[in-house]
Amino acid sequence: MNEKNLPAAESSAFDEEKKALFEAYNKSTHLFGRIASVITLVLLLGVPFVIGGYLGTSPDLKAAGSGFLAIGLVWFVSCIAEWLVYTPMLGAGGGYLAFITGNLINMKIPCAVNARDIVGVKAGTPENEIISTLSIATSSLVTILVLAVGVALLIPLQPLLQSPTLAPAFDNVVPALFGAMAYKYFRKNLDIAAAPLLIMSLLFILVPGLISSTSFMILPSGALAILLAWLKYKKTGGGGK
Amino acid sequence: MSILTQLNSPFLYIVCGTIILFIAAVSLFFLIRAYRAGKAMGIDTTKMKRVIAASATFTLLPSVGILLGVIALSGSLGTPWPWLRLSVIGALHYETQVATAAAEQAGLGGLSATTMTARGFVTICLLMSLCIMWGMVFSTLFNKRYLKRLGSGSGKSAGVSGFGDKAMTAMFIGLICAYLGSYIGGFISGNGRFTFTGSWLPLAVALAASLAMAGFVWLAEKKKQAWVESFSIAGSMLLAMAIAVLLGRL
Repeated sequence: MNEKNLPAAESSAFDEEKKALFEAYNKSTHLFGRIASVITLVLLLGVPFVIGGYLGTSPDLKAAGSGFLAIGLVWFVSCIAEWLVYTPMLGAGGGYLAFITGNLINMKIPCAVNARDIVGVKAGTPENEIISTLSIATSSLVTILVLAVGVALLIPLQPLLQSPTLAPAFDNVVPALFGAMAYKYFRKNLDIAAAPLLIMSLLFILVPGLISSTSFMILPSGALAILLAWLKYKKTGGGGK
Repeated sequence: MSILTQLNSPFLYIVCGTIILFIAAVSLFFLIRAYRAGKAMGIDTTKMKRVIAASATFTLLPSVGILLGVIALSGSLGTPWPWLRLSVIGALHYETQVATAAAEQAGLGGLSATTMTARGFVTICLLMSLCIMWGMVFSTLFNKRYLKRLGSGSGKSAGVSGFGDKAMTAMFIGLICAYLGSYIGGFISGNGRFTFTGSWLPLAVALAASLAMAGFVWLAEKKKQAWVESFSIAGSMLLAMAIAVLLGRL
């Protein structure tokens, strides 16, 4: 059905119907997302105890507690930052799935953004919610499939995947991903990308210790890019490209 | 029986495989209901199929990279646990770091099969889960309220342009800038400030991928080959990784 061909009254009814459909979908997405997340959490936290039972031991809770205080707090903050930043990009369905299946920065986020661009939908719209969920669900299934096949063929595949000849290729999957995405995004937003790129490069050059904390540097870099986008948005009266 | 034999036992494969199967079922369930909802809302099914095809091709190469993470960790943690962690919730850049740190905290001195014990292993497993589960915890507790506050999904139509969309694009640009900046910094100061002796390969690979992407964009826009768009990222990555192999020989 094409909305454009409908008379005004019917078009409005069509919008209302679409809205009601989306609201019902969204409501159940939160319900299913929460149920799936809670089950996954219970499974993940329960597995060490189940395996412990099989191996005739149990986790050292004291060591786990002190370990969490020593290394976990950093990841706790990182996880919250990731949740705050990426949830609006992914929407409800995509968000629940992405946080269950992981590999956000190196796969799920670029994948969802790429999908959104291919079909030209805007963040925060019902269309984005659907596209983002389709993209992340597909990505999760493909990763699960590749890993399952890879694990099943681990013995014959290992020499190939770990060959010194192919090592530079697999060591540089992420640079290849961000290089490709950079052209796609920078070409139309050079005015937004130039300053963060310059400042990040200078920071990493002057404080090389930060290189190992690149995932944490996404926040200031993203904040600067958003600020520049906001200034551009205001300058163009809210309708500029 | 050696610890690695125990960590690769059929029981562990069954336990981890069952959880992975559950996650696959959840993903499939979300995929099907999103597709049906999209169809009911009048979203072009061709577009949705294109998204599925593009996301599948996009994911293939990074997934092989993740498989390498499983192989890397399997030497000390066996195969089933890394397989589970990198299929569910885990992240390639995170797992090795946390597993190593967790092994130190568990009193094993480091991540190695020679020092691994059954108690050390299950403590590492618990710590790895405890450290990275917070995104899932927060999305369970607050996603609904957070998205409602942001007004997500309430956009009147795909044509409505607001700053929210531009902010998301800008955030993604910031993410790319942080990574590209780290490659530049790594080359110039990776082995000491301004020594120019760090690895230049990530930078060269990123540049090669950008050039390949430019080629795909040219094909799509100037030569009207719109079909290449769905495969442009995967194609650019593949070409850049092939160049990495060639440059790695230098």
